[in-house]
Amino acid sequence: MSFAYEAGRDILKQLSLEFDHRSTALIGQNGAGKTTLVKLLKGLLRPSTGDIFIRGINTKEVTVAQLSRHVGLVFQNPNDQIFKRTVLDEVMFGPLNLKQDRHAARESAVLALQRVGLADKLEANPHDLGLSEKKLVSIASILAMNTDILILDEPTIAQDFAGKERIKEIIQSLKAEGKLVLTIIHDMDFVAENFERTVVLNQGRVLLDGSTREVFSHKELLRQACLDTPYITQLAERLGIPQTILTAREFIEWQQKNSERRETNAQHM
Amino acid sequence: MKTIVVEQLKYRYPLTQTLALNELSFEVEEGEFIGIVGKNLAGKSTLCQALIGLVPHFYHGGYGGRVIVDGLEVGKSQVDEISKKVGIVFQNPFTQVTGSKLTVYEEIAFGLENLGVPRAEMIDRIDHALDLLQMLPFKDRAPFDLSGGQMQRMAIASIIAMRPKIIVLDEPTSQLDPQGSEEVFRAIQSLSREGMTVIMAEHKMEKVAQYADRVLLLHEGRLIDFDRPEKVFSRDDLDQYGIAAPVYTEVCKALDAKIAGEPYYPATLDEACKALVMRRE
Amino acid sequence: MSLYVNRHSLVHSVDPITKLYYIGAAIVVPFIAPSFHAAWVCLLLSVSLLLIARVFHRAMPILGFVAFVLATVIVIQSLFHPGNATAWFHIGSIGVYQEGFWYALGICFRATNIVCAFSILVLTTKPSDLVEALVRKGLSPRIGYVLSSVFQIIPQMVATMGTITDAQRSRGMETEGNLLVRIRAFFPLLGPVVLSSLLNTKERALALQVRGFNATGEKTFLHEQQTYQYSAVLQWGLIGVVIIVVIWRILS
Repeated sequence: MSFAYEAGRDILKQLSLEFDHRSTALIGQNGAGKTTLVKLLKGLLRPSTGDIFIRGINTKEVTVAQLSRHVGLVFQNPNDQIFKRTVLDEVMFGPLNLKQDRHAARESAVLALQRVGLADKLEANPHDLGLSEKKLVSIASILAMNTDILILDEPTIAQDFAGKERIKEIIQSLKAEGKLVLTIIHDMDFVAENFERTVVLNQGRVLLDGSTREVFSHKELLRQACLDTPYITQLAERLGIPQTILTAREFIEWQQKNSERRETNAQHM
Repeated sequence: MKTIVVEQLKYRYPLTQTLALNELSFEVEEGEFIGIVGKNLAGKSTLCQALIGLVPHFYHGGYGGRVIVDGLEVGKSQVDEISKKVGIVFQNPFTQVTGSKLTVYEEIAFGLENLGVPRAEMIDRIDHALDLLQMLPFKDRAPFDLSGGQMQRMAIASIIAMRPKIIVLDEPTSQLDPQGSEEVFRAIQSLSREGMTVIMAEHKMEKVAQYADRVLLLHEGRLIDFDRPEKVFSRDDLDQYGIAAPVYTEVCKALDAKIAGEPYYPATLDEACKALVMRRE
Repeated sequence: MSLYVNRHSLVHSVDPITKLYYIGAAIVVPFIAPSFHAAWVCLLLSVSLLLIARVFHRAMPILGFVAFVLATVIVIQSLFHPGNATAWFHIGSIGVYQEGFWYALGICFRATNIVCAFSILVLTTKPSDLVEALVRKGLSPRIGYVLSSVFQIIPQMVATMGTITDAQRSRGMETEGNLLVRIRAFFPLLGPVVLSSLLNTKERALALQVRGFNATGEKTFLHEQQTYQYSAVLQWGLIGVVIIVVIWRILS
């Protein structure tokens, strides 16, 4: 599949990708084509050559609205979508568009709001909420549509520690339900902690694709794409730990095991 | 010399009950690099705006106490007077572009034209600012055609050209990709090296620890701590304030690897390496 | 977003203010001059200026549109002008009259002349040069800012509008279809568009303030004041022509 906004200037070049149930992070520097790829998956754009199939449906043959049963996309800036006067109405907008009746739509919305921890704010005006909470409203409004595929565009931007923790929980619970979570993200530490698979885009092509651990072991290739490894991975590397460490917990366990080993070695000597 | 003196600063936004800034008092030495940390709505942005006088001159509401920047009392001065002493860079690079200029060069001139800087000096200052921010290759580009990181560097250059002694940055990289953030952080570091006083609100604690001389921890408008990064980040009660220490501090704490001869845990990559190697031996 | 064509020509090197004078004269002279010939002479002059500036082809799309509108005026006036008396010929029972035709042609020359005069300004003057020239003449810098920012802010707003449309389509909102569907799709777009432009405007206002936008002292300019040759001569000349035409009108 290729895509160009203007003829002859391909943004995405001969891409072939398959997504399965594994939670997947899409990384790459600005202009690498991540947002374009996501828009194509969502049907907002159509491939110039080649095809995209979502659950067997060719995105060229359906409208965006029809595809929205299968693919949900949470935009970066929640202010780009919020327009209702209450949080509940805002979240019900999607289910109602999917032709659920009011009662069912309300039920889906309440469930979604519970999942993001806003069940006590049903009647609040979304514009009175802080940016973190608005983001949660926008996530809930997509969750309520109960799609099998959920795409998040930079979910951690402008989020503080608590906000990130909450988003982490939501992603984990979606994974547990067997849904495909696909995320564009710049926060490498967040990638390492939450995603099984990582796809690195560089200048419209796939530079790396594999398990997150494997991807982060290719330090040189990542540098070419102007990307860093997670902080903890850098620390482990500086200390000469031979394997690719992805989280603080792994690091601590490795260090503890290592020092035990050293102690036993010392006793044997 | 004290460049910033804040005394008993209190501020309440119009139509609200709670204080956004509550009895803040602190002082900053000339040339220091200060990181402001705290969760969303802790008062970081409000404090930044109080340092440049947008609070109380743009945002009205209840105001008490004093803020003195480079000898000028902010509450009693005009914003354009204050902006000769202290400059501010906001989060969103797009909304800082004036939209009335066709090139980066002209964009940086905007503030200087308003302040009535003579033409010859204006050109000197713009060239210097462009050089410092490594923006010379982009000087004839259209502002809106730049990448996020370049646009933010242009915003910083526009402020630097006004020759303030202090620069305030309110989460300058929160909307940028890693490469863009790195460009901006490097630029800020070079300003700090030139002797400028830098105040930066930031979520990325690893970056705060790497660059800041001291960290100011805010919670619900109050000053909780104001000290060296390793001291602030070694606190046991950080989660109460909704922030997490840098991952380096976190792992060193778990492994009980302290900075040599100090009761604190390392907050930077280099310090963490040292402490962990020492622990091994 | 600007129609300016960067060229070196006699017309390009004329002071933007003088071009404004020219527009004034181009509107006034053909209308008050008591002669049909003034209309085509003025038009000929404007077209020649466009040709000298080598931008005539850029004015063609605008002129083409105007010509289409004016053609209908000619047809209607030739058939139905109240003063119609001398018929050229008849199509069936409908007569085509000379009086209406010449009257309409006069209107066409004058209207086209105005369009050409504006085209001269727009195609041969950088918008920023025009605004700067006006600010130097004493226009408020605030109004100057609004005039020059509009050209760049509008494309930004269009881009935001695109994102918002995508966000609502992603939630299953149909935007394609009959009128009712489109009207229904309007409100979910309107709210976020208004809000985001308000937010952006507020943020931009802050950013402008800290860059001395409200400073009360004397302003300076990055660009050296361009000295234009013969500006005064041309401007007084244009004023002179207008005065002569007015006198001519009164006397005749």
